[in-house]
Amino acid sequence: MKISLWWKSAMAGCAALVLANSAWAGGTLRYATVGEPPSLDQHVVTSDLATTIAHHMFEGLYTFNSANAPVGLLAADEKLEDDGKTIVISLRKGVKFHNGQEMVAGDVLASLNRWGEHGSRGGLLYSNVTGIEASGDHEITIKLKAPFGPWKNLLAFINGGPAIYPASVAAAAGKEPIAPENYIGTGPYKFSEWKANRHVELVRHDGYASIEAAPDGYAGARTAHFDKIRFIPVPDVGTRVSGLKAGDYDYAESIPGDLFADLDADPNVKTILNGGPIFGLIFMNSKEGPLKENYALRRAIQAALDKVPALQVSIGPEKLWRANGSFLPEGNVWYSDAGADNFSRGDTAGAKEMAVKAGYKGEPIKFMVSTNYAFHYDQAVVFTKQLAQAGFNIDLQVYDWATLIKKRAQPDQWDLFFTHHGFVPDPILISVMNDNYPGWWATAEKAGLKAKFTGTADEAERQKIWSQIQSAIYEQVPTMKTGDVYTYNIASPKLTGLASSTLIWPHFWNVDN
Amino acid sequence: MLAYAIKRIFVLIPTLLAASLLVFIFIHLIPGDPAAVLLGDTATPEDVAQLTREMGLDKPLYTQFVLWLGNFLQGDLGTSIFFQAPVLSVIADGAETSILLAVMTMFWIVIFGVPIGVVSATKHGSWIDQVSSGGAMFAASIPTFWLGLYLILIFSVTLGWLPSSGFPSISDEGGLTNLRYLLLPSLTLAAPNAALIIRLVRASMLDVQREDHVRTARAKGLHPLRVAYAHVFRNALIAVAAAFGFTFAALVSEAVVTETVFSLPGVGRLVVQSILRRDYPVIQGVILVIVILYMVTNLLVDLAYGWLDPRVSLK
Repeated sequence: MKISLWWKSAMAGCAALVLANSAWAGGTLRYATVGEPPSLDQHVVTSDLATTIAHHMFEGLYTFNSANAPVGLLAADEKLEDDGKTIVISLRKGVKFHNGQEMVAGDVLASLNRWGEHGSRGGLLYSNVTGIEASGDHEITIKLKAPFGPWKNLLAFINGGPAIYPASVAAAAGKEPIAPENYIGTGPYKFSEWKANRHVELVRHDGYASIEAAPDGYAGARTAHFDKIRFIPVPDVGTRVSGLKAGDYDYAESIPGDLFADLDADPNVKTILNGGPIFGLIFMNSKEGPLKENYALRRAIQAALDKVPALQVSIGPEKLWRANGSFLPEGNVWYSDAGADNFSRGDTAGAKEMAVKAGYKGEPIKFMVSTNYAFHYDQAVVFTKQLAQAGFNIDLQVYDWATLIKKRAQPDQWDLFFTHHGFVPDPILISVMNDNYPGWWATAEKAGLKAKFTGTADEAERQKIWSQIQSAIYEQVPTMKTGDVYTYNIASPKLTGLASSTLIWPHFWNVDN
Repeated sequence: MLAYAIKRIFVLIPTLLAASLLVFIFIHLIPGDPAAVLLGDTATPEDVAQLTREMGLDKPLYTQFVLWLGNFLQGDLGTSIFFQAPVLSVIADGAETSILLAVMTMFWIVIFGVPIGVVSATKHGSWIDQVSSGGAMFAASIPTFWLGLYLILIFSVTLGWLPSSGFPSISDEGGLTNLRYLLLPSLTLAAPNAALIIRLVRASMLDVQREDHVRTARAKGLHPLRVAYAHVFRNALIAVAAAFGFTFAALVSEAVVTETVFSLPGVGRLVVQSILRRDYPVIQGVILVIVILYMVTNLLVDLAYGWLDPRVSLK
């Protein structure tokens, strides 16, 4: 009798567990992330994961449409005066922050000033700003030293960009990252909670003031259908895939290429390519070592590399990579084939000859790579082999990412290092354009071209100058692009409103289940 | 026994001091800069240097250690560089998962490991013994990540009975029913450990069975079950008690693979992530907590010896 009761209790318990298991909330979107971001403060953080979460909460004056062109979001309109040296931006009225306050010019002014002073990318614009003021309740005026072409792209790029916070939040934060309890924006979702190692949770902002235009990329109307979005760190990729198939997650990011064919064919899974490709970069040391100012030797190294086998080995399916020498992808306004003949020559004999002519005598070349990103290491191994075949003495040094970024700041520690770059809407944001980025490419040729590139607002002229800069990159080889990688995510087929590819980061306004 | 326990607690202090110093030295020997990790790719060397100063990481190591120790003695383990939250609360969040996982795993180990070990010993040499010993070897040989993935595939993906990963706190919506999230991980973690206990119980009981007092008990005509329980099992438990103690401590600290496969927010995964992020205060705090856990477990095991075997003198 006792045993029978025990069994009954056990079965009832199991039934309760199974029932509880199936009782998940229908109004919550569960997104499996690869990890956790350091902060969601968009002014100071450039992590893609941070932006994936934060752009549901924070908005900028502009955003990008499906053609990657900047269009108004919190800005209603703008006019350029004084030959493009004065920008007057009128703001949308009736936009409410998550705390109920209406957004006014004072909030925009405080946010832009904080971003300009302490933001990751704010210095690019603010080094050209002579004055900025709230010229009305809903109007901002920016005065520039000279016309500055990329201003609108910089204001539209929310990653490390000028999210608009209430003036009180922006002023109180100063250079410190904004604390989670002060995550107050204007977006369709608002911050709810951040439980370390468990999840970041956003809830619908019922007072959201949407633009009344057809959705187009990140532009146009934004409607929050979910009650909540939970971003859950799931570092193991096998668990992300299994979790999505089991129905524990609705969306999972960063899935490896070797699973693509199976998942793409699975009717229970929807694969979503990230439209903005990331690309590997091998930086060369311009401050110290054998590659300093020895452009002929750099070109020899460049000539030895064949990028296709490295992409095949590291990424897999051809749908997920392009051996593209242009720094921006085909179809983008910044696409250019200038200098790209040298992108992937794989000319072992020619490289050997070029190296000898450049005075190379077999000195060790220190090549740093991290195992934190599998494709970095896989590609580096292929390139090391190719370079060895061309007679280069490569000392491949493998570190974890934290060690690599510490060492790359020390010019005596390396000659080459591998990293990757996310998609950016304006080439001025590519790290090689920053003179202070490790590698420290800051030649007179670059300085001249860069000044011309930023000094005009004429888009056609800027595209022409960008081609010249790309040519200079292939000539002076401060960095070598290793090819475009289209990462992909997977989603439950129950989700509606998802496009077959993301623009840059996934977004879940206008998405429903 | 009380005096013994108090004496042992005082011995903890120099051990903790030595452990904290060693941990401090080792984590600072790892290259890498938390400020650079935190600020990301676009940070200038000036930004990195400034943040390093603000975090006090530019001070000499001995100064950093003395400052940390002073705070620790006041119950403050510092602030997580990554989470910008008190280390104690970050660890407490992870500890809930780890402790519940360890308790559930111990539950499976006890209900599978001990009875199977006892049956295996009492049926020594029979087919039951061979099957249970073979099964234990098999369970001990399966890598936990493999077993975990297969359990997910069967019970979550195919049957849809249990969640595949994660663990909402039992203080969240769902309450105690959230423990279902720990069923598969605890079974995964229990498999190799239960196998160890099966082997240990079996070997200890076989040793005790050969002793004179057991033979006497049998000669007196006692029921075989009474001999097995009162005369063999209780004596065999002394060796098993130590294994239980250290298994529990190890389950909290060494469940990294299981926590990763099942995406559990436990301290094992926390310490690995913190090492990758160079979050020194969290690494230091977690390791210290684990050291304390091992020492307390050791103490409890010693006290259990005295309870199980009155001949053991605790002085």
